[in-house]
Amino acid sequence: MIKSSLSKNKPVVLELRDVVKTYTSGNTQFNALDGVSLQIKKGEFVSITGPSGSGKSTLMHIIGLLDNPTGGQVLLEGQDISHLNENEMAKVRNVTLGFVFQQFNLLAKTSSLENAMLPLLYSDVPKSERENLALQMLTKVGLQDKLRNTPAQLSGGQQQRVAIARALVNDPKIILADEPTGNLDSKSGTEVMKLFHHLHEDEGRTIVFVTHDMDLALQAQRIIIIKDGKVEIKHA
Amino acid sequence: MLKPSLDDLIKSSVRSILKNKGRTILTSLGIIIGVTSVILLTSIGNGLQVYINQQFESLGSNSIFVVPGKVFDDKGGFNNSESARYITAKFRYQDITTLRRNLRNSLVLPQSIAQISIKQGSVIKKDITLIGVNSQYGDATNITPPTGNGRWFTKEEDDKKTPVVVMGYKIAQDLFPNGNIVGKRVNVNGKNLKVVGFNEKKGGSFGGPNLDEYLFAPIGLVQGFAGNDDIVEIIIKTPTKEEVEATKVEVKKILLKDYDEDAFSVFDSSQLLNSINAIIGTLTIALAGIAAISLVVGGIGIMNIMLVTVSERTKEIGLRKAIGAYPRAILIQFLIEAVILSCLGGFIGVALGWLGSLAINNFFPARVTFSSVAIAFGVSALVGIIFGVAPARRASKLSPIEALRYE
Repeated sequence: MIKSSLSKNKPVVLELRDVVKTYTSGNTQFNALDGVSLQIKKGEFVSITGPSGSGKSTLMHIIGLLDNPTGGQVLLEGQDISHLNENEMAKVRNVTLGFVFQQFNLLAKTSSLENAMLPLLYSDVPKSERENLALQMLTKVGLQDKLRNTPAQLSGGQQQRVAIARALVNDPKIILADEPTGNLDSKSGTEVMKLFHHLHEDEGRTIVFVTHDMDLALQAQRIIIIKDGKVEIKHA
Repeated sequence: MLKPSLDDLIKSSVRSILKNKGRTILTSLGIIIGVTSVILLTSIGNGLQVYINQQFESLGSNSIFVVPGKVFDDKGGFNNSESARYITAKFRYQDITTLRRNLRNSLVLPQSIAQISIKQGSVIKKDITLIGVNSQYGDATNITPPTGNGRWFTKEEDDKKTPVVVMGYKIAQDLFPNGNIVGKRVNVNGKNLKVVGFNEKKGGSFGGPNLDEYLFAPIGLVQGFAGNDDIVEIIIKTPTKEEVEATKVEVKKILLKDYDEDAFSVFDSSQLLNSINAIIGTLTIALAGIAAISLVVGGIGIMNIMLVTVSERTKEIGLRKAIGAYPRAILIQFLIEAVILSCLGGFIGVALGWLGSLAINNFFPARVTFSSVAIAFGVSALVGIIFGVAPARRASKLSPIEALRYE
């Protein structure tokens, strides 16, 4: 189910220009990414897929600003951000990105509300607004009655929804989801996918969805297939 | 501006510390023990010092002590040589007469000692120290029984060696648990003595002998019990403090006619006090220093646990970094946790040390000073910072990618 692209004329949020990522081990060099160029436009739901070892994790780290490229450029809303230092990258991640991980990565023994508030701790959002924002996001993902529950008291699907609320709380430009259904049973997985569709279609969120599962990848509006560090196919 | 704000950081640190209460207490234990022992030992040292100063003040700053043997060495410390250890010299009554003749304005108070057994009803107490003094001694050294507790013995009783006795607080209580002490008779080495007075609780003197366990009687009577006419100490009270130095010189001059220089010592309370204070001060610092070693050990314990915590929470660190925590935010977070752990230990240690010194104070002078609390607490916080830096740095340097991948 590839939706027809309605975002042709939308502004580009993130652009990679000929990005190279080289790992050196001893005398051998290995290009995990070997000249990747792509654009992610506002409001797009893009999936990135490829076999393991293809470089999709490396690509995700570059898109997620967790890593600097060895060569090429990463542009966020037209600004080159490929040479930021660690502190600047942290700042950009905090305001621009919302992460959803396969392992949920919620803080143990910490309530849903506080987990969802976590990114705001590192932001400029005033304290008085933080709880309210987290509450709104948890309501959006249908967990308004689980605010005080800790991860151990929640099902996998619910935990991932808390993680999605956490990813939304700073109103990010891009939601970056890395195998978000990988640890869930098919029913919870389907619910989480529905939530992503809702966020995309009804709220116009930009979603980058990394998976090795072609069936899931096909649910996105556009697929980028990576193989041997190169973009093989860009469905658009 | 610091992000997260300090109160957010403290809140989250307190929370993560509370998540594992058992471990928190065990981690802080080293600091708790260290701070407790520093507080206890310094409180004992301080208490002792304050107590001794009070004792000397009650004796009066115009007292000169004359004792056989060489008490001080040339540097002003206590003498530790042979001459001090084998005291053979004793004073005779003629020394008192000579001193009194030459020091007309001062009070010359001789002392003798006898070890006796005392019996009252079925209670027998052995090896009791009976101190022989004169009728002026009670007022001069502040041990005249207070109103309601009888009186000190009179000049007449003194001259006639009348069998009367003034009791210390404790021994009076032991012999007469039901009160009604004054006027009763006690049997001392087979001889009946009339109790004319007893004292309030006075406590120990000079940190050693306890005035509450002493008996006082006319000197002639005591020399009879001792079987000799030795005088073991002479206290000279000058009319004013200003005359102490000149009188000391005079006393030395008089005694040198009959005794060798090393055979006796003349000193005043300030001299003795300075020496004792110096000793106690050094001892307190040394003991506190030894106790402080356990603070360092405690700090290493905290570092150890913080390193474990960092590797246990690698994923959390990775997540925090991914969602925008810059390295310094992570560094400060873990540093604050270490400092809170050590301050918690410091706080508990201060509380325990304070309670402990209250308990000790029942049978030994102990006094907690603000400075010892401040130093112990400050050092424990410092230990937290020093030993928290390594784990916190390790945490802040983790790469978010590696940390998130960590299993």
